[in-house]
Amino acid sequence: MNCINIKSGESFRTLLVSSAYDFPEHSGFSADGFEVSSGHEQAMHISLESNASADILALMMPGSDTKMDLRIELAGPGAACRLFGLYLCPDAEQASINVELVHKTHHCSSHQLFKGIVSGTSRAGFYGKIIVEPDAQVTEAYQENHSLLLSDAAKADTQPQLEIYADDVKCSHGATVGKLNEDEQFYMRARGIPENEAKVLQMVSFISSVMDIMPEGEAKEKLSCYVEQSVRNSF
Amino acid sequence: MAEEKNILQEITSQEYEHGFVTDVEQEFIPKGLNEDIIRLISAKKEEPQWLLDFRLDAFRKWQKMKMPQWAHLDIPEIDFQDIIYFAAPKKDRPDHIDPELEATFEKLGIPLHERETLAGVAVDAVFDSVSVKTTFRKTLAEKGIIFCPFSEAVRDYPDLVRKYLASVVPVGDNFYAALNSAVFSDGSFCYIPKGVRCPMELSSYFRINASGTGQFERTLIVADEGSYVSYLEGCTAPMRDENQLHAAVVEIVVEKNADVKYSTVQNWYPGDAQGRGGIFNFVTKRGICKGEGSHLSWTQVETGSAITWKYPSTILKGDNSSSEFYSVAVTNNMQQADTGTKMIHIGRNTRSRIISKGISAGHSQNSYRGLVRIEPKASNSRNYSQCDSLLIGDKCGAHTFPHIVNANSSSVVEHEATTSKISEEQLFYCNQRGIGPEDAVGLIVNGYAQEVLAKLPMEFAVEARKLLQVSLEGSVG
Repeated sequence: MNCINIKSGESFRTLLVSSAYDFPEHSGFSADGFEVSSGHEQAMHISLESNASADILALMMPGSDTKMDLRIELAGPGAACRLFGLYLCPDAEQASINVELVHKTHHCSSHQLFKGIVSGTSRAGFYGKIIVEPDAQVTEAYQENHSLLLSDAAKADTQPQLEIYADDVKCSHGATVGKLNEDEQFYMRARGIPENEAKVLQMVSFISSVMDIMPEGEAKEKLSCYVEQSVRNSF
Repeated sequence: MAEEKNILQEITSQEYEHGFVTDVEQEFIPKGLNEDIIRLISAKKEEPQWLLDFRLDAFRKWQKMKMPQWAHLDIPEIDFQDIIYFAAPKKDRPDHIDPELEATFEKLGIPLHERETLAGVAVDAVFDSVSVKTTFRKTLAEKGIIFCPFSEAVRDYPDLVRKYLASVVPVGDNFYAALNSAVFSDGSFCYIPKGVRCPMELSSYFRINASGTGQFERTLIVADEGSYVSYLEGCTAPMRDENQLHAAVVEIVVEKNADVKYSTVQNWYPGDAQGRGGIFNFVTKRGICKGEGSHLSWTQVETGSAITWKYPSTILKGDNSSSEFYSVAVTNNMQQADTGTKMIHIGRNTRSRIISKGISAGHSQNSYRGLVRIEPKASNSRNYSQCDSLLIGDKCGAHTFPHIVNANSSSVVEHEATTSKISEEQLFYCNQRGIGPEDAVGLIVNGYAQEVLAKLPMEFAVEARKLLQVSLEGSVG
C-alpha cells in the first residue's frame, strides 16, 4: 500500500498505467506534471489536507488482469479531488476497481469518472463508495461509471454507493452498461465509413472524456493517440 | 388546492393516530418457537399433513440460518423464543363479527359492511393471526375470482395453493422467509382466472393488536393468463414500548399477458421520538412474470416501522415481460429503513423501471438497495433506475447502494442517483407567502414524491399524502 499525504495548498497529479510495455514514456513522453506509475496492481491511500488538490488518471490497458484499490480522504476544508479512469478489456481480462472516497470535512469536492469497454470473455468490476461524514457540510461529490458491453460472454458488474450523513450536500452518481448506438453506426456507414472504423470512432469518442483530466497540450494528444491506437488494435 | 388545505389543517399536531389497543378477548398459544409450537399452530388451523410438513421443513432450514447482517441497519438482538406466534380473537359467534373488532376497523377507516365500503374495494381484514372478514366475496365469486383468507384457501383450494405456494419465494430463501414459512398464520389468497379483469380493487388490511406477538402473514396472488388485478395492502399497530416483529411473505405469479398492480401503504407504529418501541418490518416480497408479455407493478409508500427491511422484487422470466417499482420511503426520528428492489431479467425484451424517493429526517437512516441483473440470454432488455434522496436536518443519513450486473451485450442498464436537501429558497418562498415551515416542508415533499404518489389507486393516494405530512411532523424548526 502506497500512502501519500498531500500537504495544505499543494497539488498532486498522477497517472497510473497498467502496462509499461508500449507506453509512450519510452519515447521521451512527459506527462505534463503527471507523475507516472505503472503496474498491474495499484493500491494507494491518499489523504488531502486543506486546499490541497489531487488529479488522478488511471489507465487499465488490454492484455492483463488489472486491479486497483484506492482510498482517498478529503481531510482538510477546501480539498478537491478528481479521479478519472479507463478500462479496456477486449479478450479475457479481469479488471477490478475499488474506490473509497471519504469526505471527512466541509467544503470539499470530488469528481469521479470511470469508463470502460468490455468484450470477449472479460469481466469488469467497479465498486465505488462515497462517504460523506456528519461534519462534511457543503460537499460536492459526483461519480460516474459507464461501460460498453460488446460481447454476451463478457460481464460488467458495477456497484456505485453513496453513504451520506450530512445534509448540505450535492451528491450524485450515475452508472450505465450499454451497447454501441446502431443509429450512429448507420449514419456513418451511409456515408462510406466502414463498419469497423465506425465502431472504433464510437468507442474513441465514448472514452475521450476520460482524457479531459489532462490540460490541453502535447501530452494529452500523445496520450489520446496511445489510447486510440490501443482501441484500434484490440477491438 | 382546497383538498390539500384541508389535509394540512387536519393533520397538524397529529401523532401516530392508529396507536390504540382494542380490548377484545383473545386466545394465545405459549411463547417460544419449537416443533411442538408449529404442530400446535397447524392443529389450530386444522391444516392437512402436507402443510405441516412444509412448515416443519421450513423450521429445520431456519434453525440452520443466521440473521442477515449485510443491511445498513442497526438491529438489536431479537429473542425468537420470546414471541407469541399465534394470537386470535375468540370466536364465540362464528357467523358474526365481534362488534369490538368491527369498531376497530371502522376506526381505521376500513368498514367491513359491504354497503358502506369504499366503492369498488374488497377488503380482507387480518387481525393478529387470523382473518376476521373478507368483503364482497360473492360479487367476486360470480366472476370466478377467489379472494379469501389463506387458511380457507388451504381447505377449499388445496391444489391451487400447493401448486403455487413457495414457487416464487422458496422455503429457505432467506432467514425471515424461512421463519415465515414455518409459523405463518393468516393472509390473503387471491386467484384471478384466465381472461378476467378484476372489477374492483382487492385489499388486505393487517392489524397487530396483541402485545408480545409477532405477525407472520402470507399472501399469494396468482393472475392467470390475460387477467388483471390491482391489489392494495395497508397495515397499522398500537403504540407500545416493546418492539414487535412482522415478517411477511408475499408471492405473486403473473402468467402470460396478465397484469398485476401491487400497492402498499405501510404505516406500522414507528416507535416514539426516542426510538422506543415500534415494529420491525422484515418482509420478503417477490413476483414472477412467468409468461410472455406479463406485467407486474410495485408501488410502495413506507412511512412506518422502527426498522424496515424490504425488497419487493420481480423475476422477469417471460419474453417481453415488464415490471416497475415505485417507492417513497420516509424515515423520521430514530427510524431505519433499508429498502429497494431487485429486477432479474431472464427473458428476452424484458423491461424494468425503478423510481425510488427516499426522505430522511430527524436521526433516521434511510437506504436504497437495489439489484438489476441481466442474464446472458436476456437480449434487448432495458432497465432504468432513478433514486433520489432528500435530507431534512443534519443528523440523518441517506444512502444508495445499487448493484448492476449486465451479461448481455444488447441490453442497456442505466442508474442515476442524487442526494440533496430542501433548498432554503424553496422554504423562503413558501414562508413569505404565509405557509409555515412545517406545512412548507409537507408541500415540497409531496411535490417531490408526486411521481410515485400518482401511481397509487385514488383512495390510497389521499391517505399517503396525509401520511407523508404526519411522518415528518416536528422535523423542522
